[in-house]
Amino acid sequence: MKDRLFREVLPRVSKPARYTGGEVNMIKKDWDLAGVKMVFAFPDVYEIGMSHIGGKILYGLINERSEHLLERCFAPWPDMETVMREEGIPLYALESFRPLSDFDVVGFSLQYELSITNVLNMLDLAGIPLHSRDRGQGHPLVVAGGPVVFNPEPFADFFDALLIGDGEELLPEFLDVVGQQRGLVREELLLKLAAIEGIYVPSLYEVSYNPDDTLQHIKPRMEGIGGRVRKRVVASLDKAYYPATPIVPYMNIVHDRAVLEVMRGCQRGCRFCQAGMVYRPLRERSLPTLQEQAAAQLCSTGYEEISLASLSTLDYSGVDPLVRGLVEEYGGQGIGVSLPSLRVDAFSIDLANEVQKVRKTTLTLAPEAGSQRMRDIINKNVTEEQLLEAAEAAFKSGWLALKLYFMVGLPFENDEDLDAILELVKKVRDIGQRFSRRPVEIRASVACFVPKAHTPFQWQAMNGPEELEAKRRYMTRYRQKNIKLSFHDNRTSFLEGVIARGDRRLGAVIREAWHNGCKFDGWSEYFDYERWREAFRACGIEPDFYTRRERAQDESFPWDIIDTGITRSYLWREARLSQEAALTSDCRIAGCTGCGICPRFTVDLDLKEAGQLSGERETFILDGEGAD
Amino acid sequence: MLLRCEYHVDSDLRFLSNLDMMHLMERALRRAKIPYALSEGFNPHLKLSLGTVLPVGLWGMREYFDLELKWPMEPAEFMSALNKALPPAMGLAQVRVIDSHSPALMKIINSAAYRFVIDASPALLEQIREDLLAAPQLLVQSRGKKKEQNKDLRAGIFKIQVIETEDFVIMELWVSTGEPVNVRYDELSELLSQHGIGPACIKDVYRSGNYVYENAAFNTPLEKVK
Repeated sequence: MKDRLFREVLPRVSKPARYTGGEVNMIKKDWDLAGVKMVFAFPDVYEIGMSHIGGKILYGLINERSEHLLERCFAPWPDMETVMREEGIPLYALESFRPLSDFDVVGFSLQYELSITNVLNMLDLAGIPLHSRDRGQGHPLVVAGGPVVFNPEPFADFFDALLIGDGEELLPEFLDVVGQQRGLVREELLLKLAAIEGIYVPSLYEVSYNPDDTLQHIKPRMEGIGGRVRKRVVASLDKAYYPATPIVPYMNIVHDRAVLEVMRGCQRGCRFCQAGMVYRPLRERSLPTLQEQAAAQLCSTGYEEISLASLSTLDYSGVDPLVRGLVEEYGGQGIGVSLPSLRVDAFSIDLANEVQKVRKTTLTLAPEAGSQRMRDIINKNVTEEQLLEAAEAAFKSGWLALKLYFMVGLPFENDEDLDAILELVKKVRDIGQRFSRRPVEIRASVACFVPKAHTPFQWQAMNGPEELEAKRRYMTRYRQKNIKLSFHDNRTSFLEGVIARGDRRLGAVIREAWHNGCKFDGWSEYFDYERWREAFRACGIEPDFYTRRERAQDESFPWDIIDTGITRSYLWREARLSQEAALTSDCRIAGCTGCGICPRFTVDLDLKEAGQLSGERETFILDGEGAD
Repeated sequence: MLLRCEYHVDSDLRFLSNLDMMHLMERALRRAKIPYALSEGFNPHLKLSLGTVLPVGLWGMREYFDLELKWPMEPAEFMSALNKALPPAMGLAQVRVIDSHSPALMKIINSAAYRFVIDASPALLEQIREDLLAAPQLLVQSRGKKKEQNKDLRAGIFKIQVIETEDFVIMELWVSTGEPVNVRYDELSELLSQHGIGPACIKDVYRSGNYVYENAAFNTPLEKVK
């Protein structure tokens, strides 16, 4: 197989290094000695999938710490797919070159709603039936995890089980059960799996709808199956596994560097942010652990750069000593430190200067909205003053370009809010012209707001493509010097919105869209909105139902089946506060805001370096949701 | 201290680009804790220079790089440390300390040898060899910058050898990589194709060496150090 690939197939495709495996630090376990054989399947190309931290963690964890085996597989680019189909080559794993159908478990990582067509395409290329109901004893279990499965329902047809929440404890437990229950008929195995906390087996639930098409309920089909599935949480990141010897790809990947996960979760409480809600509570790694992990990774990979990843790295309580320590320790060897996300304040700029003593090219800040009113609606605790101070500090210290992230289509938005974005960008440019010695460039990247499940905006209507297009035209009606505005494709966002709050009926649409040729929908060169429209028409489903409808307070949602720890009453209160443009503070500073995670999951904020924030903390729940 | 190294790149790594190869080498040097020197300036980088680019799709038997060290290290020690850090499909075969003012590899290498592993009779290949060397002109479509143009390879083909192995026959072509004409391996493939050796009967292609060709003699960059 490998020989044939190298001789006949790979010379004919672009970027063949995507498909060869064999990288430094790859782990190839003995097939015959391994317990359960699983493949980690990433429904996008190699250079994206290999950049994903979760995959690195699970790969090392399963291969180093368990008797099971975990290999890798990525979506082949369409040119490779064509050759594979012509030559009859099934989708294979990069370690053993075995076809996916040889494995006991195929596990997909769902990071983005629109990657689902690639999942179907990969299953098809592997010769595995797409629908869970069509798979039998001889087929692998097909499962998925990742942020997208916090609303698992649109994907329910395709997966035998979904793994909800942190994978560090859940995946090994899942594989152990699969190993112990070998030989059970599939239905019985699924019952055993459903008993594991964090595992949702969609086929064990029946769904019914009201006459107005809203959800009536999702009910277990039999006794002993839980009414809701609780996400899994790793209580301590210091104790959790983290890879010391990650794979070093041969080809250039998107995030081609060593990476530390300084913390998981975020307590800022931005009301649009799904990750900020579903990954609570915030858990930090301690400085000594991170320093040790940095040393181990740099030693085993030889990378020239180390990145500090998290949802909001500048909020890590030990970020200052960590960054300065790493620069001091490794700077002399030509190894750099990178901060993927900056907070909008002058301290962030100081720290960015620390890591970028040279080559000050582009700095990225995310005010998200232009007017103070809108920033208060979304609970982005940033003032215009802070942003302008940050811009001033950046230009004074030599940065020449600033990239600013904004969203349009936010709740309660009007023309003044759009004008305010343009005004703010102009102010930043003017500051640049005043404080920089050279001409500056401001790039504003404008995304379309997509309401997500498990957020305070889950009840909100989303703008349709026409409204979003009108807003884009409004904002680009005249050009401005040294300012570049770029907009996300509003049709892509709209489809993301449909799936993000979709239900089980979307399975038919997804299958139809794939059948019509949809794949790589996250890539503008492949996204084909018309094919999707056809699929909706063919299935008799109106996409606007999922996006452009404001939902009632008590409407049952498909994703209510998943318990993220955050109570619905907290989300509703946040939704009401947003209407009044009232702020909710960060619970690290102002005390418990009652989201529910700590008391309900008996976990706690885990802060490492902030003495002033520790001490007895009182947490509370807004109402009686604690008992379920 | 300047080191000149000869290394091989096996078939498993044949799909790496030159940039991939640079990264691989730099990361291996870091893993091996080699005391490499960094350049001055705003963006310090390793003083590592690879010889001529190994084309994507080919593996190489004898490739070369020069590396400057911050402080001296025994070549044997350097070789064993780096070999441990390199992927199994790569390895150093020779390391020599050279004068720090030696001209760069890219300046001195002016010839390369490519081996085509062919499923054909030795007699046929001998015939082709004679035909090629006897031809006054060998025209192929240029694959380099001036695509669409015809290019005469004849002056750039220095030597051809036919080697018999157990399963196949190898045709080795020693060609110019600079003056008078830069001969690319894919242009040689076309030449063979013109003589009836199509892609289907070519089982493998690799670069067997890089040379300093002077006064009708081929020396490796390690033999020919000023």
